[in-house]
Amino acid sequence: MSPKHIEELYDAVIVGAGAAGLSAALGLYRSDAMQALRAQGSEPKILVVSKLQPLRSHTGSAEGGIAASLGNVEPDNWHWHYFDTVKGGDWLVDQDAARVLAQEAPQTVINLERSGVAFSRTKDGLIAQRRFGGHTREFGQEPVKRAAYSADRIGHQILHTLWQQCAAYGVQFAEEWYVSDLVLDETCSRVAGIVAYDTHAGTTHAIAATHVIMATGGAGRLFHTTSNSYDLTGDGMALALQAGLQLEDIEFMQFHPTGLAHTGILLSEASRAEGGVLRNADGEAFMARYAPEHKDLAARDVVSRAMRAEIEAGRGVADPKDPLGPKDCLWLDLTGLDAQHMRAVLPQVVQTVEDYAGLDPSRDYIPVKPTAHYTMGGIPTTLNGQVYTWSDDERHIVDGLYAAGECACVSVHGANRLGGNSLLDACLFGTRAGAMVALRLLDRPAAASDVDPALAEALDAAQACRDAQITDMLATTPPDDVETSEQPTDNAYQLMADLGSVMEAGVAVTCDDASITQALHRLEADLEPRAHALRTHSDARTFNQEITAIWEARHLVELARTMLAATSARHESRGSLYRTDFPQRDDTGFLAHSMTAAGQTPLWQPVHIVNIEPGTRAY
Amino acid sequence: MHHDDSRSETVTLRIHRFAPRPQRDRDRARGGSPFARKSSPFGDSGSRSARRARGKQWVQDYQLEVRPDDTLLDCLLTIKREVDPTLAFRYSCGHGMCGSDAVAVNGTPTLLCKAKVRDWIQQLPGATHDDEGFRRTGDVDDDAQPGTQTTPVDAPSDGTIELAPLPGFPVQRDLIADIDSMLEQITRLKPYLIADGALATTVDGKVDVFEYLQKPEQLAQYEMLTTCITCGVCEGACPVYAGGEAFIGPAALINQARFVNDSRDMATAQRLEAIDSADGIQACQSVRACSRECPVGIDVGEEIWQLIAKVKEREV
Repeated sequence: MSPKHIEELYDAVIVGAGAAGLSAALGLYRSDAMQALRAQGSEPKILVVSKLQPLRSHTGSAEGGIAASLGNVEPDNWHWHYFDTVKGGDWLVDQDAARVLAQEAPQTVINLERSGVAFSRTKDGLIAQRRFGGHTREFGQEPVKRAAYSADRIGHQILHTLWQQCAAYGVQFAEEWYVSDLVLDETCSRVAGIVAYDTHAGTTHAIAATHVIMATGGAGRLFHTTSNSYDLTGDGMALALQAGLQLEDIEFMQFHPTGLAHTGILLSEASRAEGGVLRNADGEAFMARYAPEHKDLAARDVVSRAMRAEIEAGRGVADPKDPLGPKDCLWLDLTGLDAQHMRAVLPQVVQTVEDYAGLDPSRDYIPVKPTAHYTMGGIPTTLNGQVYTWSDDERHIVDGLYAAGECACVSVHGANRLGGNSLLDACLFGTRAGAMVALRLLDRPAAASDVDPALAEALDAAQACRDAQITDMLATTPPDDVETSEQPTDNAYQLMADLGSVMEAGVAVTCDDASITQALHRLEADLEPRAHALRTHSDARTFNQEITAIWEARHLVELARTMLAATSARHESRGSLYRTDFPQRDDTGFLAHSMTAAGQTPLWQPVHIVNIEPGTRAY
Repeated sequence: MHHDDSRSETVTLRIHRFAPRPQRDRDRARGGSPFARKSSPFGDSGSRSARRARGKQWVQDYQLEVRPDDTLLDCLLTIKREVDPTLAFRYSCGHGMCGSDAVAVNGTPTLLCKAKVRDWIQQLPGATHDDEGFRRTGDVDDDAQPGTQTTPVDAPSDGTIELAPLPGFPVQRDLIADIDSMLEQITRLKPYLIADGALATTVDGKVDVFEYLQKPEQLAQYEMLTTCITCGVCEGACPVYAGGEAFIGPAALINQARFVNDSRDMATAQRLEAIDSADGIQACQSVRACSRECPVGIDVGEEIWQLIAKVKEREV
């Protein structure tokens, strides 16, 4: 759906309509500040802009759970969750942020339930909880059941429930509108608004806003093998870079151990939580050698690297679909689970294996390999979602600009995210960002709601520039010629596929200076010029998917360069980043967040340590 | 016909394409005219025809080397990447969770990412255009003569798969259909939990409100219904809905059944009353075509039947 008209100035524009964006909208609408505004007779103008219809958002694919120390199944304590999050992130976590995450998790999960999420239940009717990798009791002792779940489709439940609640509040959406520009003032200190492209009408809109919340999700499509949907092209992060902002810790990309071989489709960690075991070509349950305590439920980067080590030691297996292909997979063994129980608690996993591998998980081993899954880094934010830049050893808030969810980095995940913490991050910090915007609206002087001519000018200039670019990008040859030509010219889809291969070879799971340099070279010599030269193959403006695909490809290329720059600058191994040329963690040099602007080498921001001194991350 | 998994074969994808007339040629009023006929309380059925796009439609054949196990989404992405980047279709997660990619395959509504070549390949007599099995939605005004264009490939085709936009909705471009009517219908019926509404806050590290209790057997009453991905396959399969009759459609009814059967929801009476109308549940003719292709396996027809029983019970 599209808005019937565009307001001259919005009080808040939310970009993205997954868990973070929808939570931000609800955080705004449900806040006390919003009620107070309404009591004063003021109705804030709010718009959610999304390149997808909200129910298509990738939040819907999250499977396993959302972590909270509810203690519904066994004793739990938010301090333990806090500790696990810090340790899981290999101490690159800002501890003040992780405290908020752990402390407000129960409230967040309960409010999702009270909004309608169909959680699985204990026999007494409480929200059921299951084990998840890295979640422990007593500060790193035995595993604890902390992940609230809904069979293995918690993301679907949360996404649909949040959308339903937004329908209850009458939240206005601009769906299948692609945000092409984030516009700030010239000193990057204040937000002016966004430029959005209505893919239906084929026209751009300059949307002025005093507050913009970015909630566009991650960037898994940087890699060839990924669990992420085709839409996870890092748009929000790239928009921030293009606006002159930095990204924090963008070198940390989580590889989930159990992507279904060669499709990358995620098989939930719940499959191991329920008793699934990884095996090598010899049938050995090898995780016992790498993580004696937690075995298959060790943190995801630990498992992914162990898998890589097994493959490199020649104990990998080939995908049965391609028996003569590379032996770059391992087995996920679910045959020990009761078949009926498996279908009840892992319906998605069973169906995915049946549909996309043609195997029966109750009898057959399943080929799996690590799949790009989650972008730990992103747009740096404060605990209330405010975006800042880092310079002169301090944070400088960008007035009016917010970010939440996977595109943001409040730094609760550090160098590696624990399972169950991503939905939590998106819902919790999304809500906080929305609530913060509501507070700001309540507090501001009346004059602040007038259009600032300088900002309006910047916005109009960005729109004019974008319009000119679209005209330039649209092919001048009539579409009929293209359809019959035998050799179509380069296109965005091909470019994104090639980029995925380059990044996979360059920095997936492990890397070193040579592999990073090689990837940078391929970017500069091939991908960047190609991205620049991309043109559509039809001159249609309406529903022309190539237009947005070209922007997505350019966004990914921009982001890839920044990721490589940050990776190259971090001379250590930590969490998801494993450099074979610097295999040790180096707290003296790198207990710090990388802050990387486009084309720059990173600046370093010290990690916020509250009360957990860096220790060994053993599982 | 037996297919060897590892062997590739040549398939012809026969795609019903559509290009809307450029914007400036159309009198486009998304908000609708104040004089528009509103025949239905659900609002869309009268305006459905008014919103249809005009433009050029044609049929285009693409020949591809594929494996029998490939999904039709795999095939279309190959076309985008290697043959024709202008082909338009919605897709996102690629594994049946997002609900974006419902189209008509050989006339049957289903998801591109769940449909495999081996299950849908069919032999068509000769190379001529065969319209059998293709359901016209009546939404397209013919601007140009329908014709078949072929992307030339040397190998003879092992079979054909025909793709068209989801029936029951106006086409926007190629395989992209305008499903806003479905979302509007769902939204109109209060598609959210109606309970006491109190939310928890954290006080001194503890929450002040707890979850609603719901036993597993209460959850089982509606859990399946929550798995609906709002893809529109049931609507495209429903002869009443796709036929353009005034009907709120199976997707909106399934959404209501989800709340009617949820022990936490306090609005059952209002919900049953809201759907008990000529355009609502009374328009369902229990054909049950809606059940056949539901990608998540909801027995849509049976659930609507149960809803009808509840509505009737209430009237007694």
